[in-house]
Amino acid sequence: MRVAVYAVECYGSWEIRVSLNLTVDRLWWKGEGMGGEGWGGGQADRLVLLSQSLPLGWGVKLREGFRASPAMTLWKKEDWKRYVANCLKAEIRQEQEEGGLREEEWLTARIISGESMLDRTGGGAKEVAISGNYGGQPVFPKESLLGWGGSAALAAAANQLAAVLAGRSLLQGEAEALVAERLPDLAGNWSAAVQLAHLQGRIRIEAAVAYNNREHGGGVLGWVSKVKQSVKETERIGSREQGGGVLGWGRKMKQSGKETGQIGSREQGGGVLGWVSQAKQSVHVLGRVSEAVAGRGVRPRLTVGRFPVVTGRLLHAAALRLPQLHLPRRGAAARRGASRCLRCGSVPTGRTACAACGLAGCAYCEACLALGRSRACALLLRSAPLPAVRCTAGVSPTVAARRWGLSAAQAAAAAAALGFLAEPRERSAPRGPERFLLWAVTGAGKTEITFPLLEAALAAGGRALIATPRRDVVLELAPRLAKAFPADTPAVLYGGSEDRWNASSITLATTHQLLRFNQAFDLVIIDELDAFPYHNDPMLAYAAEQICKPSGSFIFLSATPPAELQRLARSGKLPHARVPVRFHGHPLPVPVHLHMPPLHRCLKQGRLPGSLIRTLQKSLARKAQIFLFVSRIAHIAGLLQLLNRIFPGVPMEGTSSKDPDRAEKVLEFRNCAISLLVTTTILERGVTVPRSDVFILDADSSLFDEAALVQMAGRAGRSKDDPDGHVVFASAEWSKSQRRAISQIRSMNAIAHRQGYL
Amino acid sequence: MNSIMSWIKKARLLIAPSLPQCLFCGKRGRPSSGLPGICVSCHTGIPWIRCPRCQTCGRHVGCPDCSRSREPVPIRCNRSAVAYTSEMRELLGQYKYRGNERLAPILGLMLDKAYTILQQEQSEQQIATLQSNSSRRPFSAAKPNYSLIHPALWQADLLVPVPVSSARLAERGFNQAEQLADVLSLRRGIPQLPLLIRTRHTGKQSFKSRSERLADMKQVFAGNTEQKLLQRLGGHLESIAARLQNRPLQIIIIDDIYTTGSTMRACAEALHRLIGDLGYAAEIYSLTWARS
Ligand SMILES: [Zn+2]
Ligand SMILES: [Zn+2]
Ligand SMILES: [Zn+2]
Ligand SMILES: [Zn+2]
Repeated sequence: MRVAVYAVECYGSWEIRVSLNLTVDRLWWKGEGMGGEGWGGGQADRLVLLSQSLPLGWGVKLREGFRASPAMTLWKKEDWKRYVANCLKAEIRQEQEEGGLREEEWLTARIISGESMLDRTGGGAKEVAISGNYGGQPVFPKESLLGWGGSAALAAAANQLAAVLAGRSLLQGEAEALVAERLPDLAGNWSAAVQLAHLQGRIRIEAAVAYNNREHGGGVLGWVSKVKQSVKETERIGSREQGGGVLGWGRKMKQSGKETGQIGSREQGGGVLGWVSQAKQSVHVLGRVSEAVAGRGVRPRLTVGRFPVVTGRLLHAAALRLPQLHLPRRGAAARRGASRCLRCGSVPTGRTACAACGLAGCAYCEACLALGRSRACALLLRSAPLPAVRCTAGVSPTVAARRWGLSAAQAAAAAAALGFLAEPRERSAPRGPERFLLWAVTGAGKTEITFPLLEAALAAGGRALIATPRRDVVLELAPRLAKAFPADTPAVLYGGSEDRWNASSITLATTHQLLRFNQAFDLVIIDELDAFPYHNDPMLAYAAEQICKPSGSFIFLSATPPAELQRLARSGKLPHARVPVRFHGHPLPVPVHLHMPPLHRCLKQGRLPGSLIRTLQKSLARKAQIFLFVSRIAHIAGLLQLLNRIFPGVPMEGTSSKDPDRAEKVLEFRNCAISLLVTTTILERGVTVPRSDVFILDADSSLFDEAALVQMAGRAGRSKDDPDGHVVFASAEWSKSQRRAISQIRSMNAIAHRQGYL
Repeated sequence: MNSIMSWIKKARLLIAPSLPQCLFCGKRGRPSSGLPGICVSCHTGIPWIRCPRCQTCGRHVGCPDCSRSREPVPIRCNRSAVAYTSEMRELLGQYKYRGNERLAPILGLMLDKAYTILQQEQSEQQIATLQSNSSRRPFSAAKPNYSLIHPALWQADLLVPVPVSSARLAERGFNQAEQLADVLSLRRGIPQLPLLIRTRHTGKQSFKSRSERLADMKQVFAGNTEQKLLQRLGGHLESIAARLQNRPLQIIIIDDIYTTGSTMRACAEALHRLIGDLGYAAEIYSLTWARS
């Protein structure tokens, strides 16, 4: 979109503002609404229109890059025009390179203005009428507020709008959808209300893709990956998927105040990762589309084969508008700082001619396209940061434990977390939200532990979020939360959910939904932090960092925290509580190692080792449900065939992430209609089957890390009736991951024993 | 031998991760030779319309609409590159609604295949006409008919994209028909001009009956009478005056999808009026990326 941009002098200080509706700004700054509620605008001494209609991204750049100078008071029209052209030098040059307007055209085409709109310095108010269009919309007489019944009605609308946008981060289309659902009276005519709320300081107007030096955004999680990353290193890594990501526990990390200060450069590093992969891809694609359509070759100025002169001219008019491939200009990028997608934190990799802002090159983000396109001229509305509440526990931990029916171990962890929430937070403000790790073994009942925490947040009038990577967890948790907190029906958000715009004091969401919030919550509980898709997904990590109020709290839940978090917890740098025992009070089954040749060899020879067959036989004999994990989908069919021959009559199935009937088979397995399920790691989390044994073949595979092994082993012995399931690690080699997994399980059992929970 | 095989296997493994990411499915896979940037499995899954069942609207399955209607049709024929299956709908959605403009060159290339089909069909018709004419009038030995021996391939003179409303344009940032036409324009050297404008924003089409839709459509499009544009059109017409001596102007309207044809008919009517006002006759075809 395009916006109006103006400079305003108020009590001797200048600033630059963007406007979606200049009528509102004029009323605001003239102080005409004074006396009316919501119109506490100052009296401006001077208003200078810098542009009636500028691409939003440029307007925001002018606003953010503004440097006041005392001479401005004396500036004439030409001085302001020169100032604007100078500020936008890089943008204008780039635009020209891409076949857009030249600098002279920007300055003469009545785009960049410098016209005085209001001057009160010489005694009486001199108001200059501005004609023409503002942001493509007709100018309304100053008395009319675009059909609003008057300044009071508009102020009321601004109030409502600010309330429904609280804690949100929405693109124009999303904001429109929200308004249509929550405030239907405002639909189709909300820009005046947004502008008033913006002037009141309650809604921020941003360009969705921008050079954003002001807002660091990152660093909230604290242990962000090592900041400096040479381009060389980046290129070696080559693609974002392998790039470690923002949460980046794979890398060296420091947790220090300095770190946050450098976040800006971290973002750049992360962005380059994404860039490289995208660029490679595009070179590949565009380079071969055809000579004619290749990359920058699409410029119509180039001669196109045996094309008549006249049609060449025609082609110029019908300029080919395709996304341009942008080669990295390291120097320039370093000087200006990389632009970023404000919604997801990625560096925009697409660039195309845009009818919405009229630029020949409007940058857009390709990382978060799935949620609607974020681009340099897309309006991103965010609420101003809301004050956080301290989640002091209204009730004592013991009372809470009794109310929620917690076990001794659960109660102790909940008490520790409640203590953490109740700590005073003065010192934390500059460092962002505090973090607490709840390290609960598989089957510990971590959901119940979070109930007293949610209760404390709600009792203090705060807003809480539970984010989980999996949709099925959201669906399973929603009714439990609704039952636990009948007064606060949770807003349940996932791709395609119905409550998209509902507000509630409890929000339950899948990770992608987090991109639509900004500093919204006092308490953020992140479930399975180590699980897909936070791991190695910088976009979701960025989102997670954005959602908590700066003085709010994060609670991380994990049965297998990443190594770096474990280290921080051990060294006392990360407050945490361990729940070393399952809710039923029995120790975790310790895996037993069983030697066997690699599975692919067994399948080739058509036989399984006798020791494995005997162990399986034992499990079948005790009527256990058997999870048989393999490392590769390709092995499932062959192994099933073999097992069917060895154990005829035993109902068995195989499934994987690629199996369309997966849900059905899992259900049959739960119902004991199937007694043996061959599967890949997709079932490692979440599936609870009573009376189950676990076999992991090729347990030395590099695809099974320590966490995966602990999680798979954690499927056994979960029910009260059969707490001692069997776990077998079968492999040719006795790998480090297996050793570590077993020692992790053993040490949890030891702690549980020491603390008297067993 | 064995070691060579294992070496090859290793080499393959090393190469595997560098396979390009497919623009359609996003997975890394062996690139197809047919469409750049698209993996083999996506490429084989494209529901091309190679031989349309309906010669009028280019539909791949039987089409009651074309045989039922007796009113004169303002379009010679429509050809579409692919059948609008759910996969193709998803693909178009990614491009049009989610704004993944990297797909534009590929979709444009796909449209180009439909152009090839149209071109071949029209060229064959041309030859057939020439032959039937020449059989009646045997050519003299002194003046061999080169056009019969080397008949020039049929070629369109102009591409015109179906316009979108300004509200859509502002929201989306681009006109998909124009981007598709751009690809074709550059590959084939046929200019495209925005000769049509949308005079108003239409509501959701799916809530309306067929006749309502048709009536609705009639007033939606108009010829673009912007002076500069008409000047450029005039220039182009002059430049091709030689080949226009004994035939009408051949114009292709471009769009992403052909559903009922009401959009195309309305566009063609508006275009006929515009071209007629300029004193030319036009033969209008339509080409779309998908046919539902
Ligand atoms: Zn993004
Ligand atoms: Zn734009
Ligand atoms: Zn593919
Ligand atoms: Zn037909």
